[in-house]
Amino acid sequence: MTWVHRLWLRLQSLFLRKGLAKELDGEIQFHVDELIAENIVAGMSPEEARTAALRTFGNATALTEEARAAWGWTWLEQLLQDVRYALRQLRKTPGFTTTVVLTLALGIGANAAIFALMDGLMMRSLPVADPKTLVRLGDSSDCCVNSGSVENGSYALFSTEIYERLKKYAPEFEDLAAMQAGFPYRPVVARRDGSQENARSVMGEFVSGNYFQTFGLRPAAGRLFSDADDVKGAPMVAVMSYEAWKRDDASDTSVIGSTFWINTKAVTLVGIAPEGFFGDRLSTSPPDFYFPIETHPVISIAAYVHDPDVRWLYIIGRVKPATQLGPLQEKISAYVRQWLKETRTFSSTPDKSLAEKTHVVLTPGGAGIQDLREQYQSNLGLLMGASALVLLIACANIANLLLVRGMRRKTEVSLRAALGAARNRIVRQLLTESAVLAGLGGIAGLAVAYLGARMLLSLAFSGAQTIPIDARPSVVVLAFAFALSLLTGMLFGVAPAWMASQSNPADALKSGVRGTTVGASLLQRGLVVLQAALSLVLLVQAGLFAQSLTKLQATDLKLDPRNRYIAHINPQGAGYSPRELETLYRTIEQRFHELPGVGKVGIATYTPLEDNNWSNGVQVQGQPYGGRDASFIKANSEYFDSVGTHVIMGRGIRTQDLLAAPTVAVVNQTFVKDFFPNGENPIGRHFGSPVPSDANGDYEIVGVAEDTVYTSLRWKDHRMYFVPITQRPSSNKEPIDQDLSLYAGALVLQTQWPVNNMEEIARKTLAEINPNLAVVKFQTFDQQIADRFNHDRLVAQLTALFGGLALLLATIGLYGVTAYTVARRTSEIGIRMALGAPRVGVIGMVMRGAISQTAIGLAIGILATLPCVRLVESQLYELQGVNATALTASVLTLAVASSLAGLIPARRAASTDPARTLRAE
Amino acid sequence: MGKPNDLVHGTLELSVLKTIAPEPKHGWAIAKRIQQILRDVLQVRQGSLYPALHRLEQKPWIRRRAHFYKFYLLIAAGRVQLENEAANWDRLSSTINPVAQTS
Repeated sequence: MTWVHRLWLRLQSLFLRKGLAKELDGEIQFHVDELIAENIVAGMSPEEARTAALRTFGNATALTEEARAAWGWTWLEQLLQDVRYALRQLRKTPGFTTTVVLTLALGIGANAAIFALMDGLMMRSLPVADPKTLVRLGDSSDCCVNSGSVENGSYALFSTEIYERLKKYAPEFEDLAAMQAGFPYRPVVARRDGSQENARSVMGEFVSGNYFQTFGLRPAAGRLFSDADDVKGAPMVAVMSYEAWKRDDASDTSVIGSTFWINTKAVTLVGIAPEGFFGDRLSTSPPDFYFPIETHPVISIAAYVHDPDVRWLYIIGRVKPATQLGPLQEKISAYVRQWLKETRTFSSTPDKSLAEKTHVVLTPGGAGIQDLREQYQSNLGLLMGASALVLLIACANIANLLLVRGMRRKTEVSLRAALGAARNRIVRQLLTESAVLAGLGGIAGLAVAYLGARMLLSLAFSGAQTIPIDARPSVVVLAFAFALSLLTGMLFGVAPAWMASQSNPADALKSGVRGTTVGASLLQRGLVVLQAALSLVLLVQAGLFAQSLTKLQATDLKLDPRNRYIAHINPQGAGYSPRELETLYRTIEQRFHELPGVGKVGIATYTPLEDNNWSNGVQVQGQPYGGRDASFIKANSEYFDSVGTHVIMGRGIRTQDLLAAPTVAVVNQTFVKDFFPNGENPIGRHFGSPVPSDANGDYEIVGVAEDTVYTSLRWKDHRMYFVPITQRPSSNKEPIDQDLSLYAGALVLQTQWPVNNMEEIARKTLAEINPNLAVVKFQTFDQQIADRFNHDRLVAQLTALFGGLALLLATIGLYGVTAYTVARRTSEIGIRMALGAPRVGVIGMVMRGAISQTAIGLAIGILATLPCVRLVESQLYELQGVNATALTASVLTLAVASSLAGLIPARRAASTDPARTLRAE
Repeated sequence: MGKPNDLVHGTLELSVLKTIAPEPKHGWAIAKRIQQILRDVLQVRQGSLYPALHRLEQKPWIRRRAHFYKFYLLIAAGRVQLENEAANWDRLSSTINPVAQTS
């Protein structure tokens, strides 16, 4: 209990300090008065009595101090005093203060912004119950609907059947949930029953019945799914996301129980997911609806749901307490391996060794599916590195500025020491000043961090409907930034403080008058060299990424985006069965041709430079199967013209190439180069899928098209073939009603002149054909292409930003040191000039110092650049090693900037008036 | 070199505890009483009493009660301390006295 009492006393003395002090003064006053009275009674005169009383009592001020020290708050009072003094000092030198605070703010802000992104992207868990006990089966984000074997044997995507079996086979899991991997690629068309609005394309994810239960979620309204909902033939139900509910239905509970037309099928909305739950992964397009897996075949014609050879689900489970993950991983791997061997995929492939490699890696599932993370990881690493270098430069700058300031104040410090200030008190005061500076810098840094993170996010996800990452700095980020700034401030405050404490008051007082300290210290010059070297590294990096971007954008894509618009559509969602498609495509062509200005109307499964790819194994008839595959597009006759791809040999796709006509294909040049390497004529040859064995005669090659870029510029040697959209090869035994490849995904509209309201026209025209033909996404062809460069542009912009920041800081650093040197040498320069040194000579003398430091920095920087570039090489487009252009440009920029930084103080030195400096002596 | 201050502090604090042991007193009264005890033994400025009182209060061995004057009174912990200290002193002086007397 004593410590409680003691704490109480301490707190009392802290908060009632003023009152206690008054009481103490009263007590002492009373004591002294009593003594005086006693003395008077003893016969002294009032004057004598007073003097004697004070003598008896002792030094009242010192005793009061001593008594107050007993309260234990002296340190706080001194600290407050120091802080007040520091603030006064900082106000007196606004230039210095602003420079340091800004430098810190930029250095720390940049780091905290990147760290906030890191935190948002890498470290946050899903907003679900106890994310630590969630485990994901698999460690990659294979997408979306795959068959065949996985080359490295690591499985992350599973078929419905293996999921159902695992659920029974692994009781180590309390719950094991499955979710559609590729929902962002298959939006649904939704319309609330009775609503007057047109049907809209929205995101919907198909999940297992225990999905919400596995995540431990409770509904915001209504109910969530149960296993009974995920049964074939059960009434079709849906759960809506909280965001969508708020956005579209103003959080109205009457929506629960109502019917929605999803891909023209009636579905009952049973509940609303909890607030904040954005699904099982960070995504720019989180699901508006969740549906049970068993409704997928009905809603989306997805025969693959019940095909044991097609993998389309991710699996996340919650393990029971104290489950050993190692043995569990072994158990699941063995089971999946055994089971896969029995499937068609493996029983028909001659290579059994692939089956032996099969394994499943268990990974933490608390953060959900981490595909976005994988996408940005390397870039974030790069940016972390760059921002750390910027911080290092900022630190060097601050160290330099504090050193300069420390030396300038040597006289003041010596004077204070000479007047009797305790050395540790002086050091403490200087450290307090650094800490106050650092604190101010930290606060400014947080502002920079907040704005910076928001800017980064809007750059990174420009055009996205939802920004999936929360940029608000978390407690971790706040702590990180503040710790960083305090550390910086203290670290670089210690050196000047230590130097000051070492100074001999007498020496400093003497030299303060004469100014014999020549130039800046080795430490200072070393810091400037370091800054120059680091900024060169960052500038070269910025140069390389800028070059990489230019190179990317200058690439000939072998297409023509002028006056072309791309409307993504979803005929399956509009309720069309595969048999009705030929008519639909004819109608679309016809209606759009009727519009003024519209030229070609391309219809295809997907278009150049969009995030999509369908591929298949390819065997040319008469050749062995070489294990190679090719991407394919299904398109109508006007497609090539609509995107600007030239057919360079044979013919393109014709309107007569219909379902009933012989199946033909146009291949690209890379296809020809790879499959007919000896200059054979590809026209008239046949090819197809290697399985079944009669499929390799499926398509007759009728033409060759140039290599238009699809999916990504970085995809070199992209073999492709183009087949008429409504044709099906004879080897395809799948019922036509389940053939998803007949569905077009995009319309390409080529116009004679720019049409500003093309989106509106396209939506209206499609809605007139069928109100359920919603536009999934509408962009100009240029926009679609530009989107594919977003990533590279972002990195180029950010590295340029960091390079510029580094350059600025290094320049300020060099300027500071040179200016300081000049100020210290004013009298020396004055004497030189009085003795006849020319102005040019003085400028040269000062510049020599500045330039030599920069030159050493550049030399070190060039050496440092070589290994650094190796680290980022993989992120560059067709650039290897340090190239001369980037290096020369960076060296020149840095040389010019440092010359400027040296020239200003040099000119000031040269304008020294000899007479005045000599008089000042 | 020893620290005479510690001895002064120690003696002064012990005297304060002893003084207020029988009944609470205010500062002036404590000073008068201590002066009587220590006048010839120790040269202590009367004002030193106040820092000593504040130190004892933070320990906490004594408590202050404010009426018109500030009365200081001994609390349980202080009483234990006083007994310990007094015993210590007794032991110390019984050890030192023979030594001191022979020299």
